[in-house]
Amino acid sequence: MIPMELGEDVEVRLLQWSKAEGQPVGIGDALLEFETDKALVLVSAAQAGTLRRCFYAEGEWMKPGDVVAWLSDGPDEPLPAQADAPTDDLLVTFDIT
Amino acid sequence: MPKLFFREALARAMAEEMEREPRVILLGQDIAAHGGSYAETRGLFERFGPSRVRNTPVAEAVTVGMAAGAAAAGLRPLVFITYLDFLLLGLDALVNYAAKLRFKSAGQLSAPMVIKATAGAKGQGPTHAQSIESWLMNVPGLTVLSPSTAGDAYGLLKSALRAPGPVVFIDHKKLFPRGGVVPDHEELIPVGSAAVRREGRHLTLVAHSYMSVLALQAAELLSAEGIEADVIDLRSLWPIDWDTLANSARHTGHVLSIEEGQVTCGVGAELAFGLRERIAALRVARLGARRVPVAASPVLEAFTIPDVPAIVRAAQRLMTDTAGSESALT
Repeated sequence: MIPMELGEDVEVRLLQWSKAEGQPVGIGDALLEFETDKALVLVSAAQAGTLRRCFYAEGEWMKPGDVVAWLSDGPDEPLPAQADAPTDDLLVTFDIT
Repeated sequence: MPKLFFREALARAMAEEMEREPRVILLGQDIAAHGGSYAETRGLFERFGPSRVRNTPVAEAVTVGMAAGAAAAGLRPLVFITYLDFLLLGLDALVNYAAKLRFKSAGQLSAPMVIKATAGAKGQGPTHAQSIESWLMNVPGLTVLSPSTAGDAYGLLKSALRAPGPVVFIDHKKLFPRGGVVPDHEELIPVGSAAVRREGRHLTLVAHSYMSVLALQAAELLSAEGIEADVIDLRSLWPIDWDTLANSARHTGHVLSIEEGQVTCGVGAELAFGLRERIAALRVARLGARRVPVAASPVLEAFTIPDVPAIVRAAQRLMTDTAGSESALT
């Protein structure tokens, strides 16, 4: 999820995915990079699993609170039917440049 | 049409105008290798070099004076003033030299310069967050522009960089984190043209800069109560697009002006008087900051300046109250 801490009335742009849907993810692996009006933010996994769904494409705009991707513990775990289904937040790290 | 960050729209306008007109130069603090306080000049130093993208010291009086002289001598300087508050240091050169030069020289000289300054409250407190653009509307010879979208910022900055005399181009801190659609082809927005952002029939909401964003949100809430509002984004504070304003006001009979600055001698005061000179039967109200400096505390800052609920309340009062106009936050 794009962190709410970015504030209200803020938009960010997804620059690049580092993983594709279906790929395994290890702790510390880069997932994606997005851009705010001032900074580049590299999002990396802080837990292992499988990247199951990417809801935004490179170049698309997102807001704080938007769910960007789903990660599951195992590759075959059943997924919720709805994109806005409640899920636990994925543990990630944000590196800002 | 591509969606860009506000800073990217500014950068594109500058790059296109610098490509087109070699006399356009940029002067300001941290605009060269650093890329600007809002990253709005990113890439321009690398592309156009140190003679056209120049860092200046923390000395706005010198920078604005230098720009006025350079403009009189034939260049087209664009000066970056990080916060509009700091333009106070450069007002003598801007008001007494640049703005008057055409008049004093009977048109033989002019100072085609642009000041780009950032106004507005976003946590910076009493001396870094003021919206004092109405002060500048008072100066003969100055053009004052204030966009609220990335697309307008692009089109208006291009017009500013081609204008015959000094222009103050005022943006807002809260516009930078937003994206906006910018035309994919070159497009100028004429100085002195307001934009009708929404059409209604009961009430005219008129605002500029970030308050236009809030006015549109307020209009949606009012619509749910059956009050349909025109929302007019001024874009140009001087000259004022009286035709667009008067057309709307004649239609609705009610005008609420919203600004982030003080209401005394403010934008709304000028609009109300100018519209009443044109339309006798008109109810007008203005909404602006409380008569205190912008607060540093986020809680007090929010209390000081208009927000969406305050706009809705002021509009409701204007539509129902027969006693007269309301001029303060309540």
